[in-house]
Amino acid sequence: MFGIFKPRTFFNLANTSLFWLKIILVFALITGLILALLFSPIDYLQKDTVRIMYVHVPSSWISLFIFLIIGISSFISLIFKLRVFSVYAKSLAPIGLVFSLISVVTGSLWGYPTWGTFWSWDGRLTSMFVLVLTYFLYVSLWSFIKNYNSAEKITNIIGIVGLINIPIIKFSVAWWNTLHQPASITLTAAPTIHSSMLAPLLIMFFSFCILSLIIFLIRYKYEIINFRVNKK
Amino acid sequence: MILEFLNMGGYGLYIWLSYAFAALSLISLYYVSVKKLNSIKNIEHLYQSEKVEEASVSAQSNRF
Repeated sequence: MFGIFKPRTFFNLANTSLFWLKIILVFALITGLILALLFSPIDYLQKDTVRIMYVHVPSSWISLFIFLIIGISSFISLIFKLRVFSVYAKSLAPIGLVFSLISVVTGSLWGYPTWGTFWSWDGRLTSMFVLVLTYFLYVSLWSFIKNYNSAEKITNIIGIVGLINIPIIKFSVAWWNTLHQPASITLTAAPTIHSSMLAPLLIMFFSFCILSLIIFLIRYKYEIINFRVNKK
Repeated sequence: MILEFLNMGGYGLYIWLSYAFAALSLISLYYVSVKKLNSIKNIEHLYQSEKVEEASVSAQSNRF
């Protein structure tokens, strides 16, 4: 069942596909940035600050998605004793940490001209801040705990427990009255955002996904080699 | 024209700071990741040359 997740699959993918992924990233990122900064229209309320959305929203999506993968991988690693899944999680965590930080910082910079404040302890912002702390704890524990088995077990538990925060972040804008606006794009309904803004948003999201994949493959390759070397 | 673009309707500071922070963070992460890999690449053959066991898909095994 887990055959396609064998270490070799991603190791070979890292060796063969990194060059082409970088080419795709350059084209997608340039297109996304040109559309986001030059051609996308200004919002009638938020004016030009809406351009922060093209960095803020994809970063938030990716940080949530990565933590979802970390949580599921931690669960599989803990229950089925498949170490390769904890390596996936370990390789992904720094990427998720950086994207969650980007989400919080750009959100704050977007908040000041829009809401009149950089920060508010409301549902969405606080739950996102908790995600940053969870990522930070996860990454720190891998660094500080020298015994691999102990680090693996503790981080697996953090990965699983941290999953609780994902639906809280997602539904915080519906559950509580927050400064943060509700989602404009959901999987279940048509987007309430105009196509001239949706296109750069999706292209930037695609670019960040490719960049995440590139960095993941590099880190995964490092972790696999490092593990094998230390085992000898 | 360029100043107008940089000014972004008076919100340039917030917009460019956001993009700069994202760019710097992601470039740093990429650079650190590549540096880590390069530091260990000279011993990559240890992994490449041996016949690596396939991923353990059995519940009993806990190795790569």
